[in-house]
Amino acid sequence: MKTTRLLAVLTALMLVLAACTTGGDTTTTSGSEEPAGEETTTTAGGDEPTTTAGAPEPSGEGLLETVQARGNVLCGVNDVLPGFGVVNEDGTFSGFDVDLCRAVAAGVLGDPEAVEFVPLVADARFTALQSGEIDVLIRNTTWTATRDGQEGATFLFTTFYDGQGMMVPASTGFTTLEDLADANICVLSGTTTELNLTAVFGARGIPFNPQVFADNEQLRPAYESGQCEAWTSDASQLAALKATIEAEGGEEQFIMAEIISKEPLGPAVRDGDSSWAQAVEWSIMATVQAWEFGLDSTNIGSYSGTDPNVLNFLGTDGFDPGLGLATDFAITIIESVGNYQEMYERNIVPIGLQLEGSPNDLWTNGGLMYVPPYR
Amino acid sequence: MTATTTPPLVKRLTGIGWVRSNLFPNVWSSILTILLLPVLLYSGYRAGLFLLVNAEWEAVERNLTLFMQGTFPRDQQWRLVAQLPLFALALGAGLGTASSSAQDRAIEAGLPHERTSPIGIVRRFWSVIGFVLVLLYFASTANPWFVVLGSVLAFLLGFQIRGLPARFRLYGWSLMSLLLVAGFQVVSGTTGRAWLVTAIVVGIGAWTLTGSERIVPGWRTWALKTGAVIVTSVLVFLLYSVITDPGVGWDKWSGLHLTLWVSALAIILSFPFGLIMALARRSGLPALRLLATTYIELIRGVPLIALLFMGQYVALFFLPAGSSLSSISRAIAVFTLFTAAYVAEIVRGGLQSLPPGQTEAGQALGLTPPSVIRLIVLPQALRAVIPAMVGQFISLFKDTSLLSILAIFEFFNVRSLVHGQPDFRVVAHAETLVFVAVGYWAVAFAMSRESQRLEGRLRVGAA
Amino acid sequence: MTTPPSPLSTRVPLWRDVRVLRVVGQVLAVAVAFLVLRWLLGNLTSNLDRLNLGLDFGFLSRPTQFQVPYHSTFNPRAPVADMVLVGIKNTFLAGFSGIVIALTVGLMVGVSRLSQNWLVARLATVFVEFFRNIPPLVIIIFFAAAVFTFGPFPNLREAILVSAPGSSSNLVILSNDQWGIPGFAGGSPLFTGLIGLGLILAAAGWLWRTRLNERTGRPHHRLAWFLGILIASVIISYLALGRPVSMSWPAQSENRRLIVGGFALNWGFMSVTAGLGLYTASHVAEIIRGSILAVPKGQNEASTALALSGFQRYRFVVLPQALRIAIPPIINQCLNLVKNTSLGTAVAYAEIAALTQTSIGNGRPALQSLIVMMAVYLMFSLSISLLLNLVNQRFQLVTR
Repeated sequence: MKTTRLLAVLTALMLVLAACTTGGDTTTTSGSEEPAGEETTTTAGGDEPTTTAGAPEPSGEGLLETVQARGNVLCGVNDVLPGFGVVNEDGTFSGFDVDLCRAVAAGVLGDPEAVEFVPLVADARFTALQSGEIDVLIRNTTWTATRDGQEGATFLFTTFYDGQGMMVPASTGFTTLEDLADANICVLSGTTTELNLTAVFGARGIPFNPQVFADNEQLRPAYESGQCEAWTSDASQLAALKATIEAEGGEEQFIMAEIISKEPLGPAVRDGDSSWAQAVEWSIMATVQAWEFGLDSTNIGSYSGTDPNVLNFLGTDGFDPGLGLATDFAITIIESVGNYQEMYERNIVPIGLQLEGSPNDLWTNGGLMYVPPYR
Repeated sequence: MTATTTPPLVKRLTGIGWVRSNLFPNVWSSILTILLLPVLLYSGYRAGLFLLVNAEWEAVERNLTLFMQGTFPRDQQWRLVAQLPLFALALGAGLGTASSSAQDRAIEAGLPHERTSPIGIVRRFWSVIGFVLVLLYFASTANPWFVVLGSVLAFLLGFQIRGLPARFRLYGWSLMSLLLVAGFQVVSGTTGRAWLVTAIVVGIGAWTLTGSERIVPGWRTWALKTGAVIVTSVLVFLLYSVITDPGVGWDKWSGLHLTLWVSALAIILSFPFGLIMALARRSGLPALRLLATTYIELIRGVPLIALLFMGQYVALFFLPAGSSLSSISRAIAVFTLFTAAYVAEIVRGGLQSLPPGQTEAGQALGLTPPSVIRLIVLPQALRAVIPAMVGQFISLFKDTSLLSILAIFEFFNVRSLVHGQPDFRVVAHAETLVFVAVGYWAVAFAMSRESQRLEGRLRVGAA
Repeated sequence: MTTPPSPLSTRVPLWRDVRVLRVVGQVLAVAVAFLVLRWLLGNLTSNLDRLNLGLDFGFLSRPTQFQVPYHSTFNPRAPVADMVLVGIKNTFLAGFSGIVIALTVGLMVGVSRLSQNWLVARLATVFVEFFRNIPPLVIIIFFAAAVFTFGPFPNLREAILVSAPGSSSNLVILSNDQWGIPGFAGGSPLFTGLIGLGLILAAAGWLWRTRLNERTGRPHHRLAWFLGILIASVIISYLALGRPVSMSWPAQSENRRLIVGGFALNWGFMSVTAGLGLYTASHVAEIIRGSILAVPKGQNEASTALALSGFQRYRFVVLPQALRIAIPPIINQCLNLVKNTSLGTAVAYAEIAALTQTSIGNGRPALQSLIVMMAVYLMFSLSISLLLNLVNQRFQLVTR
């Protein structure tokens, strides 16, 4: 008994000491490329280790009603792509696509934090969407016909116009695709990049050998050690990678001028639910519309002009086009995540891509961002 | 009738004699020794050079928390700090109860039995203790030291249950289960269906502990037991409606924490299922036998990764539209179903190894078939297959590394998070691999030694 | 004296009658299983209908649209069924090579563990305890990283060419991507057919000598006869067809990106084979050690009493008995190795699991692709189980 008492006392002492010193040890790595002004992700409240998150049976109801009843949006994102979707060490998510998820939550539910991020590998994207694991897929996904048709997805407004490029070490001196005959080319599995590579090289009669990896973390060592001679991916990713590789002391990289294919990246929802699709789409397009109006997170709450288009957009007069969104959803969205330009500058400019002069610029500046009027 | 016997003369070789007979017994052996010794010394030198001098362990040091708990929300870390001592307490209580009941059985059978001593435990689990020391070496604050010491003390405290008299033994198992559930819910929270898990555990305890101990109970006993279960369930439900703690669901767990919990949950959950499958496979009813055999052969014929793919890509198609199961829940379900098939085969082997005379004796005593199974067959069969079950747990623990192919950040895959950081993109790949490999090795080695030891002791103990 | 009640007069109540319970139990079990399956399949069909996806296997005849790594002869326009065949072939290759490595290394290490030489025994123990307790995935990735990605070999374009002194052709080409080893070139179906015929003749010779031995007791020398007939038939067909097969040495192609001639082994294949081979070897070594130890000690003592040498003791007394015990678990380990080749997805080796994952990611129906993949593995495991059962029966006959 004496031993027991002694042990009990010592245990309690140790636990008190442990409790007092918890929270003091934070890892000091500077690894997270999170942009400034990051918010923490909420754990969807009451997450218990059993099944359905209380989702009501969709008895003829649309996904919009289901999501509003459930109280959070399940958003499929990337967790290892700097600029678009990254998971930070403390479990929070940041990135351009992640911010778009928050915009959807702000628009549909009025709360930018009412979103549950579901990280997905490229291979699992569409099965997750089809099976209902996620409500919306915002994960640098290219809009193609097969995905609209065979894979049961519906693509919405393109949020990022991109193209597929090819990167080689500058020392090799390769400048055209023909230089890569029979070469090993690193590519991610389950992406349009893989299919385009096969199609373009096949059309030109250039033989090649793909090295297929599941994610960039496995791919990059193979590329840098020379197992692959070239790396093909979306041009935005290649620019980011070129910047990071060169900044970390690697070899100088060269991105070929030739753009292999068009890569319009945008959000996707399941087939067969137009009201949900439209709610998501207009929430996202609100960010571009605000940019066009010159409204951003700082001044949208204090607009004092009389432009009827802007007043409709802000919902000041109670304008409701019947999308199932709140009248002031635009204000909620812009105040929480900012307009398109702010999101771009927060997430994508740090990885080395400029907004001005790119296809993602506003249509009034010569770019492709053109949204239908909110009227 | 004891005659004093002198032990046989054994020549203990020392020094030159030992070297001669062990390293150079004959020509071929000597050649082998001469070839191997320099190779061994050189590789040992290079390995030591790598491990102690040249390696950049910074990648592991700076990311130790990532390896241990992955992307678990940092502000909720106190939950993990609370879980470990609870778990150690539970383990101590369980081991104490098991050790004392083993001791009682040995005394009954008149066999010798050595008490488990702390020194013995240290010697048996030197690999795990070594790994924990390595972790503490890499730790940069004092907190891990306190947590580890607290857990060790909690374990010893739980072990004190050994001193209790025999009639408190059952309470020991109930205490262990309750502490395990408490440790789990400290992290996962008390909302939702958490009360159900506790109610089940408490209910099982209430069921076992109430009522008379007659072999064939009457209806009064059943009524008492049912009443106890209902009362305790209601109490638990009320308690849980007062304590609402959202916790951190297991979808957010990662790192070594997730690896350990997935293996533990899978083996615990698969056990009843596998038991039923084994009994079904051996039953005389052809339909049951067919169903069980189909299931077992189907699951054992495909690799685990195929089942994990099924779970990841298509599992949700088989559930009503609108239901959602997180990716980790599905992974745990797949591991459970997979392990259940293997557990079924192991238990079936145990059931087959039991002499049929046992069953016949039970029937001769007038016991019904369920009672024969419950009181005679299962206790012996299960005790006989404990080493194989431990082996299955080791396999399961190693197989959790396959979750990295599904991009879940368990212990092995945390490496991709570490090497995604700008500082460690191209360096330290070997160091992190070695660290992860040593982690797996430490636990698996300790478990396999335990299983060998149990096997040896069970053979001695079996009549 | 009252007569005891005859058993026929006591009717067992229906709810306790064993025959009734048996039937009811089975009906219930089947009904439950049926209902569960119906619920699952009902959900499946309603979900698929909602999304306009089908449950058919028509995707197998549509073009693959992506290139399979290291198979330059594979046309991306070929149907998916061809891709599945490529996957099966690669799984078989990795499995077969892995089994060869596992059995050889495992046998050596298993016997070494019981060696009298302390150093050899300890080294074997370290080998077994090390490889057994680490996940196979870690071992495979370790090989891939240590030998190839971060290893000492240069790129294929600057590969190391190892040639025998004085000759201009290469023995081996080493790079961090592919290795080239010598192979055979030429050969015709006729030649392969003749070799097959020779194999059958050799097997017949084996059986004949065994029967002869059983009938007359003369030493059978069946191994010598088997090898003799086989080698003779190979030499005869080789000469008769005018040397159809020649050695082909590996060489670099024009643009130095391919290995032409010989066999080209890619890094994924080598990592998987080496990793799994060593992992399974550690298990095989344990099994062999256990089985040798399970041979009763009296056998050893009796052989020593009969003045058999160590080698003879192993060859005639210990190993035959030990292998009888060891072969079923070893065949089980071979099955595990074939299943573990699915880890090739982690090193970009194009076996069936990796190809299935890629094709699902590229829009093929997930459920059907996975069913095809599981069917492939079931085919492998059922054949190996059949082999196991055959072996078991054969050995049981021998031991009476």
